[in-house]
Amino acid sequence: MAAQLTLQAPTALPPSEVPDYLDRLWQEGIQHSNGAATFTLMVYEGSWLQQQLIRTGRVAGPLTGLLEPSVIAAAKQAVTDLGLPLSTAVMDQRLAWQLGQQSGEGAAEDQRGQFVDAAISAHMPRRLVTLAPTLDAQRPLESLVAAYCPLPEEGGGGAACGDVVVLRGGRDALATSLPMVNGLIAPGLPCWVWWNSSLDEAPDLLEQLAPAQRRLVVDSSLGQPRRCIDLLVARIAAGQAVNDLNWLRLRSWRESLAMVFDPPARRNALEHVVQLDIDVEGDHPLKGLLLAAWIADRLGWQLQESYTVEESGIGAAFLRPDGAAVQLRLMPVPVGSPKIHPGALVGLRLICAPENRPPLCVILCSESGGCMRLEAGGMASMELAEEVVPLPNESEEQELARLLSGGHDTTNPLLAAAAPIAARLLPH
Amino acid sequence: MAAVLTNPLRVGLRQERVIPPQCLVIFGASGDLTHRKLIPALFELYRQRRLPSEFAVLGCARRPWSDDDFRSRMAEAMADQIGDDHQAWAGFCAGLFYEPADLSDPASIVKLGERLERLDRERATRGNRTFYLSVSPSFYGSGTRALAAAGLLADSERSRVVIEKPFGTDYASAQALNKVVQACAKENQIFRIDHYLGKETVQNILVLRFANTIFEPIWNRNYISNVQITAAETVGVEERAGYYETSGALRDMVQNHLTQILALTAMEPPGRFDAEAIRNEKAKVLQAARLANESEPWTCCVRGQYSAGGSSARPIPGYRQEAGVDPNSTTETYVATKLFVDNWRWQGVPFYIRTGKRLPKRLSEVVLTFREAPVHLFDAAGGAPTPNQLILRIQPDEGADIRFEVKAPGSGMRSRPVDMAFSYDESFGEPSDEGYVRLLADAMLGDPTLFTRSDEVEAAWRLYTPVLQLMAESPWQLPVHPYEARTWGPAAADGLLADDNLAWRRP
Repeated sequence: MAAQLTLQAPTALPPSEVPDYLDRLWQEGIQHSNGAATFTLMVYEGSWLQQQLIRTGRVAGPLTGLLEPSVIAAAKQAVTDLGLPLSTAVMDQRLAWQLGQQSGEGAAEDQRGQFVDAAISAHMPRRLVTLAPTLDAQRPLESLVAAYCPLPEEGGGGAACGDVVVLRGGRDALATSLPMVNGLIAPGLPCWVWWNSSLDEAPDLLEQLAPAQRRLVVDSSLGQPRRCIDLLVARIAAGQAVNDLNWLRLRSWRESLAMVFDPPARRNALEHVVQLDIDVEGDHPLKGLLLAAWIADRLGWQLQESYTVEESGIGAAFLRPDGAAVQLRLMPVPVGSPKIHPGALVGLRLICAPENRPPLCVILCSESGGCMRLEAGGMASMELAEEVVPLPNESEEQELARLLSGGHDTTNPLLAAAAPIAARLLPH
Repeated sequence: MAAVLTNPLRVGLRQERVIPPQCLVIFGASGDLTHRKLIPALFELYRQRRLPSEFAVLGCARRPWSDDDFRSRMAEAMADQIGDDHQAWAGFCAGLFYEPADLSDPASIVKLGERLERLDRERATRGNRTFYLSVSPSFYGSGTRALAAAGLLADSERSRVVIEKPFGTDYASAQALNKVVQACAKENQIFRIDHYLGKETVQNILVLRFANTIFEPIWNRNYISNVQITAAETVGVEERAGYYETSGALRDMVQNHLTQILALTAMEPPGRFDAEAIRNEKAKVLQAARLANESEPWTCCVRGQYSAGGSSARPIPGYRQEAGVDPNSTTETYVATKLFVDNWRWQGVPFYIRTGKRLPKRLSEVVLTFREAPVHLFDAAGGAPTPNQLILRIQPDEGADIRFEVKAPGSGMRSRPVDMAFSYDESFGEPSDEGYVRLLADAMLGDPTLFTRSDEVEAAWRLYTPVLQLMAESPWQLPVHPYEARTWGPAAADGLLADDNLAWRRP
């Protein structure tokens, strides 16, 4: 469910006047308050797909930045219309790029930064700064400012008030606003930076927007895999609290796999894994690699080598703590109806060969995709544990809201351990 | 549960509900509960990454400790739990603070409010505050009043109070205490803790009943002949003689813990899984419950007190010989009672509740015994077929058993009972969180599902009012029967069931 955060139309101000305006606003106090003692949330809201869909007349406005059902439906239609492979995910940047090659003059009201998911606004950000780059790269900087307070029935009173700043313009113009943006961060409160766009985009802007002391939220399914994983690894190594939505979307897979090995009778099999197969949608392997890296880290495997298999697959060899070998194979598979984000998991197969016991084959299948390829061949003599992994049904905004609800100033240790292994697994 | 090898893939997956930025204020921070239960539970939550970085614990007591004093005392008390994990403790410890405060001194509470304002800014805790009253019950009312007077409960969304048991000593005192705290805070801010509800297996009663279709159709008077709820302890009164002498088993265990289990076992299905829907149903079933004979409660309630027992090598003192106990004490250490629930589902089905100290085994369980098969077609190995039973084992060996008849091997057609068992250990192999971990997390999340609401507490006290009145006004009508330590209670308790041609399950 989406909710309009600001209760009144934002005030358009020249960018240079924004800091003074906000200072004055809070010095006077709103409902006897100088603002919620919560956090600053800075969002880089590319929304290129929506912008291109609006420009080419495939969806009507307004431009909210939210991935609404109408946007998803139009994007799926565009994949077919533009002759892209059917495995192309909605958020695959090649789709937005292809749309960019089409003609069109459609326009809609730009409400990015004002139209915020209720799950996020429920946490009462003290300041929500949205950087909204426009398709017109030369567009000058515009700024909009609004203060807000929850309705009386929502509780919180003045102590829950905050403000919204929207900076809109071409990417260069946004870059010039950074000194002012950095000055807007509420002192003494945590600051989150959500890079809600491809990690291939504007690295300098990301660098300046998200220094190590700010909590970074990215999506490593958006961007070239090598660039995404290197960025994760570098940021984590620098001590930044990094949250990767692509990693968080692995939760149901990790839970399903852990569940198979909850009964103590199966624990021993985990020490005797010999083979791990992972199927992913399309050609973005990072989510699958993060899953493999997490398993390797948890089970204490040492990576020996990784290599390319059959053009677009990835193979790797690990050594278990007892010195035995484990083979990994991650293969892209074509799908007719891909999920929203590139590289979604289709299936996982883990084969264990415990001593003096029959081998165990664990197969996890995506609820929507099935995994016939992994079910084929040579498992008749094995004990079979097969589970269907439920599809996560949370939006990006809900995932982010979960992070905001009780954040950490360090990276999740499991991601911190898995990311460097995933980086080594990805062949150069 | 038995210690088992941790599932390496399970580590870090218990993060489904992260507690929001928060300041937890513990009154009575110099007391036992703080270093034995509360701080260990919080440290466990920290290790599971369920506490956010914006978190603070403010210990409060009269002692003039500093922040560092408090930290070092907690570290000392928790040395075993910290082990080698000094890094985690250092991170957690940085969020521990202390403020000398006296709940009976308004100026001191105002000063506390100022400290909380500073902590809010320093730790960015967003004004979320949970006040945990780990103090003498006599301070529950005045303490809540003092917090309200200092304006610390004014924000009903961001402040809440956790109150330990006992909540009152009878119906009238519980009502009076409810009036006081409800005048200070909204009901959704008041979290009356019952640590039995923090147990995984108690919560599992809800899941077992309402996530399966095979139990609910037979969960009623048509199929169930009686229900037994047992909480047996092997220990005696230990160091709690001072408190126990004023409470006894009925107030200490039955009115709260066992009655909550009764409510979960007997309640109707809630329309949805939310706190109010569940608590509505629990309150309704408690309001429908009554003693089997309210006008003659001595016929449906048995009291006992353990006397000396054990062997000559390991003698066990009787209750009256325990340190701090009146040598002529008539405090009951054992209670058995029979109840009915007067509603469509349970009319006529007796619920037997028993609890006691110094019994032969430590265990808590709910046993639902089903009606006998209408026709006995087969010879039974035991003479008559054993009625089917569903046994919910709350502790130890957490799990559930279904007992049913099968064909005994051999050429004849004789039946004998067998158990089909579910064990938490065998299925999950992970130790559950300690009850306080769950309950503290829920309180800080503002989720009252596992806390008792005012009407539940009052209904539970009202249920036992006839017995409490009898104990106060004519205790000779409800004598305290002695029973030898490490036996299953007084013989009179067996008589309670024998009248109905039943017997207590011998676990």
